[in-house]
Amino acid sequence: MSAVWLIARHELRRLVVQFWPWALLAAALALLAYLFLLGIDSFLALAPKIAGRSEAPGVTDLIAIPQLRTLGNLLLLLVPLLTMPSLAGERRRHSLVLLLGAGVGELRIVLGKWLGAWLSVLVLIAFALAMPLALAAGTTLDLGRIAAAALGLALAAGALSAIGVYASALSAQPAFAAALALAMNLLLAVADTGARLQGVVDGGINYLALPTHLEPFLRGIVSSIDIVYFALLAGVMLLLAARQLAALREQGA
Amino acid sequence: MRDHTGEAPVAYARAWRLAARDRPGNNRNPVNTSVAVPLLELDQVSRRLAGREIVHALSFGVARGEVLGLLGVNGAGKSTTLRLIAGVLTPDAGAVRLDGECLHEAPHRHARRIGYLPERVPLHAELSVVEYLDFCARLRGLGTATARAAVAREIERCELGEVRRRLTGQLSKGYQQRVGLAQALLHEPDLIVLDEPASGLDPLQAVRLRDLIRDLGTRHAVIVSTHQLAEAQAVCDRVAILHQGTLRHCGPCTNGEAGLERLFLAIVAGSTGLAA
Repeated sequence: MSAVWLIARHELRRLVVQFWPWALLAAALALLAYLFLLGIDSFLALAPKIAGRSEAPGVTDLIAIPQLRTLGNLLLLLVPLLTMPSLAGERRRHSLVLLLGAGVGELRIVLGKWLGAWLSVLVLIAFALAMPLALAAGTTLDLGRIAAAALGLALAAGALSAIGVYASALSAQPAFAAALALAMNLLLAVADTGARLQGVVDGGINYLALPTHLEPFLRGIVSSIDIVYFALLAGVMLLLAARQLAALREQGA
Repeated sequence: MRDHTGEAPVAYARAWRLAARDRPGNNRNPVNTSVAVPLLELDQVSRRLAGREIVHALSFGVARGEVLGLLGVNGAGKSTTLRLIAGVLTPDAGAVRLDGECLHEAPHRHARRIGYLPERVPLHAELSVVEYLDFCARLRGLGTATARAAVAREIERCELGEVRRRLTGQLSKGYQQRVGLAQALLHEPDLIVLDEPASGLDPLQAVRLRDLIRDLGTRHAVIVSTHQLAEAQAVCDRVAILHQGTLRHCGPCTNGEAGLERLFLAIVAGSTGLAA
């Protein structure tokens, strides 16, 4: 078994045996379920008014995609909470030495931590997806669009997990790591707000913003430039985390 | 008294061989007299942390079949020295060699030949003893079946059977220390590095630990740091005394505990102005 997968599996196992990740998952799903029911209620009220129109939005547009968009926003907050103990917790418990002393390179440690965190977020996304998919029992869904949205959310979760792991490498305090990751996520989320208010939608600042690349997936468009953005963001963050880990070894932390 | 600080490694190795050969009554580890080259060798190793030089120009070695005790007062640089030896800290100057190869040029390759018990046991409190040891074994590259056998062996050897299903975070300090020792031994390393292994153990456990270290010392190279001179005298073939980051003495345990105590106090008191 490769060290990366071993560490990832270990991270998942540690999350599974603790109470707080389950509480976090339950709280997130409860919120999403409440919003889902509100969405169904609104749709039932609106349906008679738009019935018969040729371009009328359907269940996918009015319930499923808004639900997944909300999940995307929620990930900005939830992912830092899940990733905060990955390296900061190891440092606080003085157990990082176990990984560093075992002959596993810094990059593989970081990749393992990231993979474990990402997989745990994917579990949350899978649970959240079950709600809109359950509508398929009573109506016809645009499954292609939902699949594209799920792919976008999964990629965004990967990038956010990488940010979380990097933030976790910067501090021995998990709470500080979570706050730092949240700040970085929010910065990426609102990076181009000012530019958009001035009508700029194609500038470099727009490219940096996370919603610019998540929104096409939610509209059902899978574009390589958006995939590259998330992959690049994750890659850069993981390399920075590995460098930070190497620096920690150098400093004897 | 500064016996070996600053010596060239070749000169040190020669002195070490002579000391091992000439040690009176050294029949505990007959391999000592026949090993020509130390498994581990520190050559003028220095390290600064937070702008302060913690260890300076350390040169000593340890061979297979030998237990070396690292003695010193708090802040002498023992833990830093052990971290340098374990490969989790890189020296600023000098080299740490394992079988003649620089440890820090290929740390990942050599790491699996070293078993390290740090001063603070690196436990994962939410895992049971078996789960934790299994993770440690696999981290060191052991396969599924080998890892399972190694975990069973170390649980037996470190007397962890009755707590094997308990969470490591809920164990007493003594048991946690034994779990830490078990993780250091899982992969049958050539070099075993133990930082204060008797910390938190009750007297009976401490005696059993001595027996275990002596047993390990017949097949492995073992470095043990301790504050307790009696413990060093009981388990070590040689002692290295660190003071203020420098090696002040490295030689065989001779003249009994009283002799070691006199030597230790002379080194410590000599630099602090206390009467020995």
